[in-house]
Amino acid sequence: MPDTDTGRTSPSYNSATSEASLGSAVSADSSPTPTGTLLKADTLVRHFGGVAAVDGCSFEISRNTITGLIGPNGAGKTTTVNLISGAIRPGSGHVIFDGDDVTGFAPHRLAAKGLIRTFQISREYKSMTVLENLMASPRNQAGEKLFNVFFRSGAYKAEERRHLERSLEVLDDFGLYAKRNDYAGNLSGGQKRLLELARAVMAEPKLLLLDEPMAGINPALVDKVTEHIIAMRDTLGVTFLVVEHNLEVVERMCDHVIAMALGSTLATGTMAQLRANQAVVTAYLTGGEA
Amino acid sequence: MGVFWGYVATLAVYFCIYNIFAFGLNIQFGYAGILDFTVITFMAIGGYFAGVAVLGPAQRGTEIYYIFGWSLPWPVALVIGAVAAGLLGFVIGLIALRRLRSDYLAIVTLASGSIVYGIINNDNKIFDGGAGLVGVSQPFGSHISTNPNTYSEFFLIICFVLMVGCWLFANRLYSSPLGRAMRAIREDVDVAEAYGKNSFKIRMTAMVIGCMMVGIGGALTIAYVTALSPAGWTTGETFVIWAALIVGGRGNNWGAVVGSFLVAVLFNEATRFLPNIPGHPNMISDIRNMAIGGLVILTLWFREQGVIPERKAKFMEIPLRATRAKPGLLAVSASGSDNA
Repeated sequence: MPDTDTGRTSPSYNSATSEASLGSAVSADSSPTPTGTLLKADTLVRHFGGVAAVDGCSFEISRNTITGLIGPNGAGKTTTVNLISGAIRPGSGHVIFDGDDVTGFAPHRLAAKGLIRTFQISREYKSMTVLENLMASPRNQAGEKLFNVFFRSGAYKAEERRHLERSLEVLDDFGLYAKRNDYAGNLSGGQKRLLELARAVMAEPKLLLLDEPMAGINPALVDKVTEHIIAMRDTLGVTFLVVEHNLEVVERMCDHVIAMALGSTLATGTMAQLRANQAVVTAYLTGGEA
Repeated sequence: MGVFWGYVATLAVYFCIYNIFAFGLNIQFGYAGILDFTVITFMAIGGYFAGVAVLGPAQRGTEIYYIFGWSLPWPVALVIGAVAAGLLGFVIGLIALRRLRSDYLAIVTLASGSIVYGIINNDNKIFDGGAGLVGVSQPFGSHISTNPNTYSEFFLIICFVLMVGCWLFANRLYSSPLGRAMRAIREDVDVAEAYGKNSFKIRMTAMVIGCMMVGIGGALTIAYVTALSPAGWTTGETFVIWAALIVGGRGNNWGAVVGSFLVAVLFNEATRFLPNIPGHPNMISDIRNMAIGGLVILTLWFREQGVIPERKAKFMEIPLRATRAKPGLLAVSASGSDNA
């Protein structure tokens, strides 16, 4: 076996002509129409005990955009993400994804439809290798059906090979190729964050919910993750909803920003518009109580 | 020669059967992370159902009662035993796998096992209660030989073939995308769900397959011993199988084999042949349990992953296409490392 590692530790991106190796694997459905609404949250309500964590939150997310979700601590951002991704059910209200009412769907059903989320802290599959983390991520794998495993292995051999080639390319893109056979649990904090994104690329999501992707990583890596997110939107047509506290990052990458306070939508617009919005500024200073 | 080789064959039979138990538990715990604390119940169900399928109808007036009594040929009985164990696994899975995780799931399996034990032990109409089934004829016994030593050697062949079958099945499952999804669920069920894995369905698959394998082991046990009673499958027996898997190495079927040899054969079965110490009839079995417990503690202390730990998944080495276009549309920065 020739060592394919050589010189890959610090990937040099210099070859020229496009064979669209990455683009080829992108499924046709990732963005047939670059406009229109992909996700609509309609007056979502969720109480925890007596506290209304989310109280009448409504917004829309357009296809092929990066939408930021900001607001002071306790505004209900994470709960909103949990409601949309099916981790918890709303008390009332609706979630419309890609034209279908998906309110209260279990996470795996939403994921099958193309709605993938990440978590606030990195949650890689620790005792699986980096490559395996990616291989486990494509949705609806034929090889995950028991019958195929034992009676129709031909049904997934080609697919498996395709996923493997794509995984290696994606790892290369994210600068993790040299780490492919390491246990994911042994990566550094920053590498784990990149792995989360790489894994999400493998799932070919229509909508990717990122819960505080920049939390606890250094400024250089913040830039890198930001660029990856923008590249995923531009080349793969992924739509993003990003919960983020770092407003500079939000300003840099988000096409559209939703500001929440006290469980409901306070204002929407570009970051520049929101900075000029007195209600938003007050909410940030006071937590929204004023 | 006969006696010695018969003894070796007996140990080898137990070794094969424990391997099958350990493979079954490995699929449940090592692959899918299901804490099945009632493995031995599925062995018993497999054994009982295979037993009543082989036995003739219960005779009136003998005070021995059991259900079925179909006088079926042994291979059919084996299938019935495996299916019965799988069905019980499915029912317990319905309760345990839908909402519960780790420790709560373990409690439910333990409780379910106790309920099954209580019912079978107390209701003498199902499998003759505490007395258990006796006189189950050995497979092909009438055709082989009445000499127990020769028979052990013959039975060993059956066990070995079935064990190899289970081994191939378990390894194929492990290296398949389904096995990978099981491990992903074991690692983090929320993330696996967020990536579209139906964790209930996949864990149920692992549960039922594991139970069926353990059921096959149970059917082999009753066929070899010709009897099975509740005293033979107390909760303690579950932990012998667990000890085998933990000492050997969970997630690795070679680990299951090594663990079965160390725990089930060397520590458990071989010591049964030691002479009893006069005046202390339970001494040997107590020492045995202490030794197994000590072995588990030593393993967890010094070699947490077991003697043969789970191996890294190997993939075909495909060179990144030399002509690889733009280093990737997603490539952003030339610095591959970060110092976070």
